[in-house]
Amino acid sequence: MAAQACIEIKNVYKRYKAAQEDSLSGVSLRITQGDVFGLLGPNGAGKTTLISILCGIIPVSSGDVQFYHDGEPYSETERKRRIGFVPQEYAFYQELSPRQNLDYFGAMYNLSKTKLEERREHLLQVLGLEKAADKKVGTFSGGMKRRVNLAIGIIHQPQILFLDEPTVGVDVQSRNAIIRYLQQINQDGTSIIYTSHHMSEAEEFCKNIALIDHGKVIAAGELQDLKTQHAVANLQTLFINLTGEEYRD
Amino acid sequence: MFKLYSSLRKELLLLINDKVGLALMFLMPLLLVFIITIIQDSAYKMVNENQIPLLVVNHDQGKEGAKLVGLLQKSGLFKIDAQDGIAQGSLKSELLARGKMIALYIPAAFSAGLESNAADVSSILMDDLGLEHDTTASEKISMPKLSFYNDPVLQENYSYSIISVIQSYMSVIENSLMIDRMYASMDIAERSQKLKDKMISNRVGIQQILASNNNSTAIPNSTQHNVPAWTIFAMFFMVVSLGSNIVKERINGSFLRLKTMPTTFMVVMFSKMAIYVVVAALQVALTFSMGVWILPRLGLPKLSVPDNIIATVAVIFISSMAAVSYALMIGAFAKTEQQANGFGAISIIIFGAIGGILVPTFVMPGFMQFFSNFSPLHWCLEGFYVLFLKGGSWQDLRGVFSFLGIFIVFCQLATYFKLRLERII
Repeated sequence: MAAQACIEIKNVYKRYKAAQEDSLSGVSLRITQGDVFGLLGPNGAGKTTLISILCGIIPVSSGDVQFYHDGEPYSETERKRRIGFVPQEYAFYQELSPRQNLDYFGAMYNLSKTKLEERREHLLQVLGLEKAADKKVGTFSGGMKRRVNLAIGIIHQPQILFLDEPTVGVDVQSRNAIIRYLQQINQDGTSIIYTSHHMSEAEEFCKNIALIDHGKVIAAGELQDLKTQHAVANLQTLFINLTGEEYRD
Repeated sequence: MFKLYSSLRKELLLLINDKVGLALMFLMPLLLVFIITIIQDSAYKMVNENQIPLLVVNHDQGKEGAKLVGLLQKSGLFKIDAQDGIAQGSLKSELLARGKMIALYIPAAFSAGLESNAADVSSILMDDLGLEHDTTASEKISMPKLSFYNDPVLQENYSYSIISVIQSYMSVIENSLMIDRMYASMDIAERSQKLKDKMISNRVGIQQILASNNNSTAIPNSTQHNVPAWTIFAMFFMVVSLGSNIVKERINGSFLRLKTMPTTFMVVMFSKMAIYVVVAALQVALTFSMGVWILPRLGLPKLSVPDNIIATVAVIFISSMAAVSYALMIGAFAKTEQQANGFGAISIIIFGAIGGILVPTFVMPGFMQFFSNFSPLHWCLEGFYVLFLKGGSWQDLRGVFSFLGIFIVFCQLATYFKLRLERII
């Protein structure tokens, strides 16, 4: 029996105002519950646009996106409670401490005071931010800021977590810590949809992937199957074979 | 409620961490009120209380010149520096060399000319009345001319005021001479004093009444003008703190992140407005306290608090809402923090200048007075002036509330549509 879907994307098109071309052109994907799904592609392929649509930041031009849990569809309002979003940018307050940032965003996720305090202290500890918990985030290294960014996105224990380049610009230690923790929450039941330019990281982390280029899905499926199908040894070669070696500026 | 509390707490923490913004919002108005009030107060005093330094060169051969100098001295308006040794030809250079602004030259034939004119007037009157008098032809001397020298930097209306004062004393001298001469012609010279006293004491007085609605005796002074004016200026300067906050949140993705959360953007905006309206109220409390308790200790006029407390609270509230709404709009439209800070600050200075904060609108040319109506700071100031100087009623505040209400709605709508365009709302 096929695993239950948590997201079904059907024939989604997206064209921004005044744009000449579609950013997404007939994208259809099925993401299963409990998966770690990699959305991969070169710069400007449409990954961030797709994640923004899935998170409800921008609307589709046409097509349909439906969210499910245990086979049951749920509304957009409900979706906001069940998803977590970790953007590429440091989308928090650099003037505040990690503790203060978590307090604020946790409250915005409707967490009770007690639950919020419990989750806050747990995340500060597991993401190695405990010692710097009351220092201003603006003084932190890139790796620490990435961990704060992640902590905010998962403070409410989302069922689905969207990660847009969560490890860009961080050192190996921070990257390992982030990936380790993401694997752990995935094992606890959180579905993860993830974009990255680190092919080796994606290969290690993702079970299923979709390769997007020029707004279209050019390959999708289980990573191992895709490698076998295209007769390549690793994801990087698959990526280059399918998207070419030209610059994408 | 916990969500609202957290949002308010976050705004408060951001504000506390913004040291430059806090200094601009709280330290700047105190310094501005303090410095500008002292400067303007001394200017007021220079005109109203201090004696005007006047260089007098009296070359008169008779006694009327000395009488004029005596009257000017007695008036208490002038600090007279008598330098009779200076020749009229070198008076200009002497005036500038001595650092004086004004000088009065009394010519040698001053008394003789006045006496000759008085004799003529007396003669005409005696002839008209058919009374006998001494008709021995005496030498006719033309009316003397006083020479008034002033430094070109002195304001024209200030010079005219001093000339008017001198002319009024000249009238006293001339009338006195004429009465003496007429009484002498009638051989009753000893009785002239009674008439002279009567004429001088029975002059028409001018009662100064302030155009205030509550018969308030509050006299507009430097404190009464500067405390509200610079408080409003500082209120609007919150654009630097609040405006750049919004730009940061727009640019770093915090606003977009909130869009993925089960919350309404209204909570964010309401929290921002609430915190900054409280900031504006604190600014008013701080600067007004300074006007009431600290400025009088420095020898400056005390701020008279208006009687209508509810109207005062309403004016403070609508002024702070106007300032907050403007800051929100700048924050929504600026592309960078530098743009928000630079444009925000400069626009407030321009609004302040045309709105009568730096220079009162009544001294502006007509077209500038018209443009001042487009400055929100002008209407805020107008609201405070109605309360402070005119004892204003709700009726008087209608224009203030109407304009500021329109301004607030405009700013809020502009902010809403811009954020909507960016898909933040």
